[in-house]
Amino acid sequence: MRERRYRSMPPDDAVGRRDFLKAGGAIGAGLVLAGRSLLAAQQTEGQQPPAKPPARPPRPKTNIEDALKVSRTKWSLPGPFPGRVVEVHDPAAMPDGKVDAAVVKAMVERGIRGLTGKSLKKSFGLFLTKTDVVGLKVNPVGPGLISTRLELVDAVIDWLVSCGLPRRNIVIWDRFDYMLTDAGFTAERYPGIAIEGLQTMDEAAAEGKTQDNSKWLKPDGTHVSVPNFDQEVFYWADVEGPKDLPYLNQHVFNGKHSYFGRLLTKKLTKFINLPVFKNSGNAISMATKNIGYGAVCNTNRLHAPLFLDVCVEVPAFWPVRDKMVLNITDGLRSQYDGGPDKNAKFAYIDNRLFFASDPFALDMVCHNRIVAKRKEMGVAVNENPRFTDYLRYAEKLGLGVVDPAKIAHVKA
Amino acid sequence: MSKLSASAALVLALAGTLAAQPQVPGPAFAPGWAASGTLRTFVGQDLFNQIDGGAEIFLEFGFTALRIQAYARDKAELTLSAYEMESAASALGIYLMRMGRETPFAEVAARNSSEDVQLTIVKGRFFIQVDNLGETPAPRADAAALANAFLAGVADETEKTPLDLLPAGGKVAGSERLIRGPYGLQPYFTFGEGDILSLGGKIFGALSAYQTPDGLSFTRLIIPYPGPEAAAAARAHLQANLDPYLKVTATRADGFDFVDYEAKKGSVALAGAVLEIRFGLPGGGRRP
Repeated sequence: MRERRYRSMPPDDAVGRRDFLKAGGAIGAGLVLAGRSLLAAQQTEGQQPPAKPPARPPRPKTNIEDALKVSRTKWSLPGPFPGRVVEVHDPAAMPDGKVDAAVVKAMVERGIRGLTGKSLKKSFGLFLTKTDVVGLKVNPVGPGLISTRLELVDAVIDWLVSCGLPRRNIVIWDRFDYMLTDAGFTAERYPGIAIEGLQTMDEAAAEGKTQDNSKWLKPDGTHVSVPNFDQEVFYWADVEGPKDLPYLNQHVFNGKHSYFGRLLTKKLTKFINLPVFKNSGNAISMATKNIGYGAVCNTNRLHAPLFLDVCVEVPAFWPVRDKMVLNITDGLRSQYDGGPDKNAKFAYIDNRLFFASDPFALDMVCHNRIVAKRKEMGVAVNENPRFTDYLRYAEKLGLGVVDPAKIAHVKA
Repeated sequence: MSKLSASAALVLALAGTLAAQPQVPGPAFAPGWAASGTLRTFVGQDLFNQIDGGAEIFLEFGFTALRIQAYARDKAELTLSAYEMESAASALGIYLMRMGRETPFAEVAARNSSEDVQLTIVKGRFFIQVDNLGETPAPRADAAALANAFLAGVADETEKTPLDLLPAGGKVAGSERLIRGPYGLQPYFTFGEGDILSLGGKIFGALSAYQTPDGLSFTRLIIPYPGPEAAAAARAHLQANLDPYLKVTATRADGFDFVDYEAKKGSVALAGAVLEIRFGLPGGGRRP
């Protein structure tokens, strides 16, 4: 495959994370360093950096061309409103840090109407039919602080049900089942609605508390969640996943394929993306990352060499491109630094929701907003265009509109 | 030293370190509290299982182990997260990245930057956070008591760092940071891909914002390499692999000047084993 200009982020990772300790002996180095002058230690022969730093690594090949060969449908990204982003702000949404569900419901209704220019019922028809099986892709990371608010999910469900979609046709989902539970997405909280993780992970085994891997590893050496992924539909990148058991526990597969969840390929006919407004290092972790790294397995291998490009190339495949009809970014409580994990120091109540059918326009608007917030708070921000190159790559692929001159950012 | 004896020494040293670990406090740090769930421990790369992509920066700075213990009293909940790092410099590096505007609570017995919902603390080789995110907020005094109960067992190590090399004149207080690789540098500037500054996952650099007497601001980054040859090689590697959004405008015997994508100016200068990089000076001003 030809070398593309678009390379959204510096892999900025000459020392791959899983190789870091193995290759560098970092624990040992730290023990040697402890209690000594660091400057002196840096002069020590044994601590010399490589004489020749590694050359710029080539961008790994991917199967993006396969995604582009599949014919588009009337539902394909960027949906009916390319480049249109609606922002709804209500200072009463989270008084004293507690969500006012009625206010959030009203915000959702304002946002949908603001996006489509039509009533809630007519808006429903622009995105969905009453026979659809509709997923709600939440972000459960950082529960209690910056996970998708349950009240936002409630409001979306109310809208869907009020327009005739049976509750049994709604599925709240994420990649990891235990994270959904931790964040409060349980059957008890959402009666009649399915709650599905694409995969499980044995936390005790992952933490090394037990050597018993039988809860996740089958006798044939495969992960119990293998059947949850569709091995006919995959994102392929020329990067091997690590072969250790902890990686397999967390990622189900560890080769060069990231398979799409069978939930997306076989069960859901549409879905609504409900990410959270937060950062990931100097970049953002919002609409496109929530789905780019949430729809497939075996993703850790992709962070270093492809990072934000994955947020374009995974959504370019039909299970996302043709089914993800609406995005609502939860900025009721936002986080401008310390992400993607929760970090209360940098979390703040912002009382905002953002609506778009075009997730790339949405992320561009939110990227600019987080940059402004970081500046306001005196946090360093690197405005090198490479941090938004992936969004321009998406525009080039016809998945979104991100040129500021073409984006309509509307406050409803 | 043979590989075997080196490994044995490492194991012994590691065992010694683990034995010296401060204890995670029991629930008696304040009245009425009880442990909530069991102690959770993450070692090395397993940190990804707890904080996902947030682990990158910890590993870059030299992460050893994380212990997490939650405590509950009625609807209040406190969670202690104690990150053991390789060295005091590693812990300080993480702390500086995570402190935001430093807002200390006087009742916490170590350097800290705290809010009611979270205490962020550094002492010796430990970076510590206490989350106060229960349905009902815990009293600030209880959160501090939990932190102090842990801190009492932490050795007060100090370590010289390249922060000492940053000139005092014009330095913006509170903007000092340590870097040890690409993830730490990422929010500040992009010089190129990969290990563009040849830090090798081992060398610390220091950076800070500065203001000139005429009100212009820029950032200064200072990296002491193991020797002049390593520094010269690092400088050559940087210039040869410079980010395509940067353009070299002048080359000198000791370095070069550049402009970035916003027409802001920068410079790279080598002096012995030390590389000094300045960037972010508004265009039209003097060479930084």
